[in-house]
Amino acid sequence: MKTRTTLWKTIALIAFLALLLAVPKIARNDYQVRILNMTGLYILLSLGLNIAQGFCGQINLAIGAFWAIGAYTAALLNVNFKWPFWLTLPAAMVVAALVAAVVALPSLKVRSHYLAIVTLGLGEVINIILVNEEQITRGAMGIPNIKRPSFFGIPINSEQRYFYLVLAFVILGYLVARQITRHRFGRAFRAVRDDYVAAKAMGVNTGFYQILAITISGVYAGVAGVLFAHLNTYISPDIFEFRSTLFVLTMTLVGGMGNLLGSVVGGVLVILQEVLRTFRDWQLVFYGLAVVLVVLFFPGGAVGIARRWRERQGARRAREEEANTVANPPSEEAR
Amino acid sequence: MTKTVILVQTIVGGLGIGSIYALVALGYSMVYRSMGLVNFAHGSIYMIGTYFGVIFYKGMVAGLHLPYWAAFIVGILLTAILGVALERLFRPLANLDLMLMLLGTIGVGIMLDNLAIIIWGAEGFAVRSPLSSKPILVGGVALVPQMLLIIGVGTVLMVGLQTFLSRTKVGKAMRAAAQDREIASAMGIPVNFTNAVTFAIGSGLAAAAGILAAPIVYVNPAMSAAVGIKGFAAAILGGLGSIPGAIVGGLLFGVIEAISAGYISSAYTKGIAFIIMVLVLMIKPSGIVGETTVEKV
Amino acid sequence: MLLEIQNLTMQFGGLVAVNDVSLNIQEGEIHALIGPNGSGKTTIFNVVSGYYKPTQGVVRFRGKQISGLPSYKITAMGVARTFQNLRLFSSMTVMENVLVALGHHAKTRFWQHVLDPFSVRREEEELKEKALQMLRIMKIDQYADEQATSLPYGLQRRVEIARALATEPTLVLLDEPAAGLNEAETAELRDMLLEIRQSGITIFLVEHDMKLVMEISDVVSVLDYGKKIAEGSCSAVSCDPVVIEAYLGREEG
Repeated sequence: MKTRTTLWKTIALIAFLALLLAVPKIARNDYQVRILNMTGLYILLSLGLNIAQGFCGQINLAIGAFWAIGAYTAALLNVNFKWPFWLTLPAAMVVAALVAAVVALPSLKVRSHYLAIVTLGLGEVINIILVNEEQITRGAMGIPNIKRPSFFGIPINSEQRYFYLVLAFVILGYLVARQITRHRFGRAFRAVRDDYVAAKAMGVNTGFYQILAITISGVYAGVAGVLFAHLNTYISPDIFEFRSTLFVLTMTLVGGMGNLLGSVVGGVLVILQEVLRTFRDWQLVFYGLAVVLVVLFFPGGAVGIARRWRERQGARRAREEEANTVANPPSEEAR
Repeated sequence: MTKTVILVQTIVGGLGIGSIYALVALGYSMVYRSMGLVNFAHGSIYMIGTYFGVIFYKGMVAGLHLPYWAAFIVGILLTAILGVALERLFRPLANLDLMLMLLGTIGVGIMLDNLAIIIWGAEGFAVRSPLSSKPILVGGVALVPQMLLIIGVGTVLMVGLQTFLSRTKVGKAMRAAAQDREIASAMGIPVNFTNAVTFAIGSGLAAAAGILAAPIVYVNPAMSAAVGIKGFAAAILGGLGSIPGAIVGGLLFGVIEAISAGYISSAYTKGIAFIIMVLVLMIKPSGIVGETTVEKV
Repeated sequence: MLLEIQNLTMQFGGLVAVNDVSLNIQEGEIHALIGPNGSGKTTIFNVVSGYYKPTQGVVRFRGKQISGLPSYKITAMGVARTFQNLRLFSSMTVMENVLVALGHHAKTRFWQHVLDPFSVRREEEELKEKALQMLRIMKIDQYADEQATSLPYGLQRRVEIARALATEPTLVLLDEPAAGLNEAETAELRDMLLEIRQSGITIFLVEHDMKLVMEISDVVSVLDYGKKIAEGSCSAVSCDPVVIEAYLGREEG
């Protein structure tokens, strides 16, 4: 029975991957591929947020700012020093990690609502710096002319080609996140989240793991930033405002906080928002309403719904088996 | 202009803005204390409350042109009613995980913000002060009348709130319910009613803040985000849930902003205020007036 | 002398929870701490395990001062504890709860978790083996994959103890391990505690179940209103009039 489900799962996975690879051919125009590329970037952001907040319980409302740091690092290195994508990438990851580690420090002293406003405030500070230090960041004007990357000589200069790049990073990001959260570190994160005091008593250096979790979210956001900068070839501070953090938060919650698949599923929200864009102002009213409904009725997100459905199936099957044994008791020989 | 004159003017300006923040912060802290709910739609209530008052002041409702003080009262009352309606809506959110509560209330906030845009448009408008716009000179210090009005009315409201909570029956019932909901309920205090009153007062205060601020800032739907976050930060700075804390936090936040804008850099005003908030919390994690509770193990 | 508590005072604002208590625990003994509710027993545990910093006084473990150190360091030095109100990790299975405590054993570094899945998997299997051993000692290995908080109370208590043992302590602080257990379960617990002591672990025990205390303790210390009022062998203490007065003069919970 178990091998059969594993077989189905593998087939489904391969089919899904094949579908993904064919997407750029199926899509009708560049705009649609761009939506998918943005979906991929938001999935990366969500994975990072999920590790810090979903698994480790550290509220991180600065994720948009980390995204900005990644994008600006890449943009400045590329435009000012002609660094190519493959160098701006590790550089941005390092810078975003450092910034995230600093933002993480207050988490050692404050929790919950207070940590929320602290990370929000520090994120705002970062955005303010980006807008105001015009000498370096060109302020609200933004940075144009970021170069597209190339892969062993092949320029990645179309939405379609960029899609494969983003896809590769999303898959890689997901696998890495899975590796981290599956074993010792994931357990330590969850211990910190479930019961801070007990975790300490079990020898877990809670402060270290809190900072590590937030730093990891910074790295993921940094990668998303680099990918965005080189994709859009232009960045400006308003892209990374608090609104973006709210969106990542929403999609992670709707998909399922605390579960990596939730981040992937939450990506659907990006597509949905584009679809609703035609309704303009009412779009946001519906968006707000949708958020409220999800919070009230589906707090576990899509993943939570799937799990409850599976549990109910399991319970129903158990009841049926029990009913069967009552209706058809074992024969005399079996006894 | 001497240095002291500039300093006094800056501080007065800071107290003015700070009074606005304090009135908004009170809404956050009161609701948190009594319901355990952090209402991230409060900024939107502030904005809508401002509109509720200003549309009558500017004669935008069936040509009805009310004097400022009347529009002030009407705005507060309408917003208080909105608050009661929202309390009913928010009741199930109160016991949820913080993230869910945050998103749930933000969701409502987004709805309110965009309904405001749909009804009144996104551009907004300027509002003229009912008082003269010429500064009054007091001992060489130029004070803007509207600013003085804000500080004056703000103080009256804050003192009024304190009196209400400590002297009146409803106020005492509210404090009891905030302290321990179950015991209060067991003693016959209608907790749902006191929560509704809390929300009504909190929303009313926010509306008052906005209508007072309207002649100084530009009235548009974006007000909700601007003041919403700062009001929350002020409440946290003073100690979330503490009424004196909200007042202290709000005034302090305003003065810090004014001093930063005047002496350091107007661009980094908001940033400096937030950094100071973070530093204060690192030293005293429960806020300036907040009580440090030791978790029982 | 394994654990030395010297003139410990713990004050919270105006409340003095522990008042100038001194207490020594020798290696290999089972030392019980008893007293009416609110006498400061759990507070002493909280100080020893590093959750509180003493207002006054010192705690030494193997001669080294541990008071003032963070909890996780104290645990690493060999002092483990359980909690009166069960603090299992609610999102984890029994196995995972124990694995968290075994984390100190792990040798893989973070970069390996990203880039070297093979050594990580190998380490996981080793850790799982060790965890199963711990679970077998407490006779709960068959529940390894159950959600820890879904088990009946008595079994959850055992998970709590197994988890503490997984940190490989020299001294384990058990806070009311028999609370909520019936007679049969308490008898099983008694045998497990004796086995634990047999394996070389010193036990410091807070308990209300006098029968259990009398059956296994070598030394008993009695607290009342934060002060130590008696100490000695079970028989000596149970006959001490001061102790009887303390218990009779209170409403026992």
